[in-house]
Amino acid sequence: MAAESPNSARKVVVHLRATGDAPILKQAKFKILGTDKFAKVIDFLRRQLHRDTLFVYVNSAFSPNPDELVIDLYDNFGFDGKLVVNYACSMAWG
Amino acid sequence: MEAPKYVWEGAIPLQIHLHESQVTTLPPPPPALILAPRIGYLPLLAPLIKPYFSSTLPPGVDTIWFDCNGLPLKWYIPTGVLFDLLCPEPERPWNITVHFRGYPGNVLIPCEGEDSVKWSFINSLKEAAYIMNGNCKNVMNMSQSDQLELWHSVMNGNLEAYQRVSSKLKLATVDDEYASLCLQKSQQSVIETDLPAQAKTGRVPVRLYVLSVSKDFDDLDEIPRVDSWEKISYINRPVEIRKEDKCFTLHDALKILLPELFLDESLMNVKLGGVDLEDAVRNSNEDVTSVKVVEDQGQNVCKQPEACRISSSAKIKLIRIQGIEPKLEIPFSWVANNLLNPDYFLHVCVCVKVAQ
Repeated sequence: MAAESPNSARKVVVHLRATGDAPILKQAKFKILGTDKFAKVIDFLRRQLHRDTLFVYVNSAFSPNPDELVIDLYDNFGFDGKLVVNYACSMAWG
Repeated sequence: MEAPKYVWEGAIPLQIHLHESQVTTLPPPPPALILAPRIGYLPLLAPLIKPYFSSTLPPGVDTIWFDCNGLPLKWYIPTGVLFDLLCPEPERPWNITVHFRGYPGNVLIPCEGEDSVKWSFINSLKEAAYIMNGNCKNVMNMSQSDQLELWHSVMNGNLEAYQRVSSKLKLATVDDEYASLCLQKSQQSVIETDLPAQAKTGRVPVRLYVLSVSKDFDDLDEIPRVDSWEKISYINRPVEIRKEDKCFTLHDALKILLPELFLDESLMNVKLGGVDLEDAVRNSNEDVTSVKVVEDQGQNVCKQPEACRISSSAKIKLIRIQGIEPKLEIPFSWVANNLLNPDYFLHVCVCVKVAQ
């Protein structure tokens, strides 16, 4: 995803976890700029899994708005130094 | 009347113009005049708006979206918040343009009508529950009929129905500091011993929208029109109300939400050996290590360079919540208990003047 940048911009570690029958990614941990929107994570998953319909959640709890900043999500819901993002092909938590 | 009733009955008068590219009849149709609930969302007005324009629309599939002075409006932001943010000098009616074609997918996330808005609302509610309780089991475990009833109460602006269903969620409310301060004055020691232990602190979910302007202004109509969402910083950060001897005010909450604006206040307590702060920041070859440390802290806190500057001349010009401009001394617990949106988030609009 985002290439390493030399400046002091904060990066967030995102751990992508498959739910239900969603395919498991070979590489599941990524670093992303805190100033990026959650939409970037969603788009990345769509391209990697070649699927348009994806349900993406944080901590198996709720689906954040794609405009949310990754840094806010990490500050509010991250733990153990990462943000856990779950993805499913059908609605997992309605 | 209680404050939440005022909030739920609040509405924005809209004058909705059909975009010229979609007018196929002469004369063009007059604008639709609609009273939109503050706590509602613009796409939900589609059934009210369509009848006005359906006879003039070009053939094709309708996907409704709105703009204000060319700025596409984010549909998941409550109508009242959009108005507070984009209309500093509140114009009534608020003139906006409706489109049924040409959805700007590069600016707006997709919206497929009521279902999309409902999904966004329920997820916001879960997010708020997670912030307050550390999990959102209460929302997830809602029965289908309860969830539907809650959503319909929001769509219909029915506060009674909403309170009936939402009270089942047992979402932690914040201790009303004003009430307990009044109570303390009359019953000193009774409080400590007789009341069951209550959560002493509360985490309030906040969505903060910051409009930064570079020029100072006296009148609200001098605020430049927002032509891009880049001019607005959006911050999702909860405020933890701290129980101290003195009342936790809105000002205290803002210090938590926008610490970079208040850095100078804390600096005033730091002794710099007579060196003027502004000079110390300008002269980078001076070894004023305390200033450097603060600057570094500022770098970490600052995440959107255009919108945040560390400067003694940065100041809050305007703060609006549910269309009102509360005094900064107001107890934040009152704000948290009375001015929430139905998604249990407090939406706060702020206009900040920053240094160039």
